[in-house]
Amino acid sequence: MKTMEIKKLLRKIDEFKIITLPAIFVVFILFVLILGFYFFNALPAIERYGIDLFITNVWKAAEEPAKEVYGLAAPIWGSIYTATIAVLIALPLSICYAIFVNDYAPKRLKYPLIVISDIMAGLPTIIYGIWGAFILVPLLRDHIMKFLYEHFSFIPLFDYPPLSGYCYLSAGILLGIMVTPFAAAIIREAYAMIPSVYKEGLVALGATRYETTKVLIKYIRPAIISGLILAFGRALGETVAVSLVIGNSFNLTYKLFAPGYTISSLIANQFGNAVLYEYMTSVLYSAGLVLFVIGLVVNIIGIYYLKRWREHVSH
Amino acid sequence: MNDTTQPTKGDAVKKILALILGLCLIVPVISIAGCVGGGNSQPSNNEKPSTIIIRTTGATFPKYQIQKWIEDYQKTHPNVKIEYEGGGSGYGQEAFAKGLTDIGRTDPPVKESMWKKFLSTGDQPLQFPEIVGAVVVTYNIPEIGDKTLKLSRDVLADIFLGKIEYWDDERIKKINPEIADKLPHEKIIVVHRSDASGTTAIFTTYLSLISKEWAEKVGAGKTVNWPTDNIGRGVAGKGNPGVVAIVKSTPYTVAYTELSYAIEQKLPVAALENKNGKFVKPTDETIKAAVSAVKASIPNPTEGYKEDLKQMLDAPGDNAYPIVAFTHLLVWENKNGKHYSPEKAKAIKDFLTWVLTEGQKPEHLAPGYVGLPEDVAKIGLNAVNMIKE
Repeated sequence: MKTMEIKKLLRKIDEFKIITLPAIFVVFILFVLILGFYFFNALPAIERYGIDLFITNVWKAAEEPAKEVYGLAAPIWGSIYTATIAVLIALPLSICYAIFVNDYAPKRLKYPLIVISDIMAGLPTIIYGIWGAFILVPLLRDHIMKFLYEHFSFIPLFDYPPLSGYCYLSAGILLGIMVTPFAAAIIREAYAMIPSVYKEGLVALGATRYETTKVLIKYIRPAIISGLILAFGRALGETVAVSLVIGNSFNLTYKLFAPGYTISSLIANQFGNAVLYEYMTSVLYSAGLVLFVIGLVVNIIGIYYLKRWREHVSH
Repeated sequence: MNDTTQPTKGDAVKKILALILGLCLIVPVISIAGCVGGGNSQPSNNEKPSTIIIRTTGATFPKYQIQKWIEDYQKTHPNVKIEYEGGGSGYGQEAFAKGLTDIGRTDPPVKESMWKKFLSTGDQPLQFPEIVGAVVVTYNIPEIGDKTLKLSRDVLADIFLGKIEYWDDERIKKINPEIADKLPHEKIIVVHRSDASGTTAIFTTYLSLISKEWAEKVGAGKTVNWPTDNIGRGVAGKGNPGVVAIVKSTPYTVAYTELSYAIEQKLPVAALENKNGKFVKPTDETIKAAVSAVKASIPNPTEGYKEDLKQMLDAPGDNAYPIVAFTHLLVWENKNGKHYSPEKAKAIKDFLTWVLTEGQKPEHLAPGYVGLPEDVAKIGLNAVNMIKE
């Protein structure tokens, strides 16, 4: 009898589940270790500068520790601002792309478009960066920024003279171009998942093509929101491409044509020589921690929305 | 119904095929492993000396000179491969401290705090000058093209302080009467380095010497808080190449960079006012005039942190260019073979000996650089001879 009980017990245990368990532990432990690593290294800077580290805009690097003063407000603002611009640009582009691919593209054109979009989403970002720095920036400066400055400088956003072209707008547009394929992929798949009975029902009721599309887009609105939130997180973390076009200037402003900084480009520019300064390394880890926290929050929100929408659409 | 539960001939055939396929995959793997094992066991009959790789990392100030030395040296020493890596003086010091590179490069002398970090590795760092270079002020003003712009000391400081806003400012016009009518009413964009840079340290040290306001407000260092950043007319580029790229692509910019980059990229160079009130451009003649006007005081290579960056700056003499500086190499003494293998130590000694002797002759100098005074080169040779094999 005992032998039979043991056998029953063993049968209940799922061996496959046990085998896959270590992977979960590894991922979780890695996450905790990464977070702990950043916090541990950021602590000296946080202790020394307190909240000022995150709300002031200072970068006085001195090889005498007493003279060192740092404030990350400009890079933090720059990261959020450029990512926001990127999302605003990506929104119309990715929705139009999704609609075209699903509803209007001829069969032979549809799949090449999807493949191209996915490839663009996966391209190394340095390619965008170099193209952005040498082609996009001069183009934007000479044809768009100067036009906007000359004719619309009564609007505060545009009243900053577009001197060099390396600025928030250039970085935002470049990031927008980079994240559009990413957002488009999510929105396109969501759009394709809509059961065809909805479309057929709308057409049966006499709705025009525009009206049909409008209703369907509203139907997948949560997927669009989550796609853009994930795109925001991705734009937030971009490093090399942005550091090539943003101007790398500690400049805290909302004016589009002003040069600025992002956390990623700050780390890319300064980490290699931070060892010379007592607190700079720690400050850069603090910056990384800020990016980590913002990115984490944004991605969780995005995934949550996406999951909820998928549950809704599947029943 | 019962027939479906019986194994069919098809199933048997599938199993056999799977087995054969498995064998086909396994046999080649075993064969390859055997071949590899066999190959390793054979003794090497190659009698040629193996290639020795030396890496040098750091300051971009002497880039063209280093590359020329490498090219010339490797013509007569093909078995030594020397790799140039940039990154700036700050990164050069860091990489050297961490043992990531064999020869560190730094424009300003290492500070005492950093020197202590070097010493904490248990080896003795050695620092000595390698070449003389100049920092120049370059600009991109389409209206005047490559005509020479004169900048007095106070005008130069005020441009970088952001107090002179437009290119057609009265003070700039006054000292440039021949091109005054061509100077445009455009805002001055200041380009500076985004990394910790020896070129920046040299330039800001010079600005501190000629301008009290700069010394008080900004100060000198490998990275500083640029006033023009705060008013939005500052842009940063990574490395001397990054700065030069921005200047070339952006009109109405002004920047500082090492002379050889301006020569290489054919950028116009400003004539600066020196201590004697003369406006001079950086040429071999004016740089040599600055070098000879100052008795260089180079400390023992084992105490490199004692060297003063200011000594060569703002040299007296009518024909002396004001922003001239040594740029330095860092090597280890290699106590107990701590950092270099014997072969590598020997190769480093040979290369650096060549650099400090043959390398200082005119035929091996890149445009924009000037050879070391003989007594200074001797100090370097003493350092090189201290390296243990």
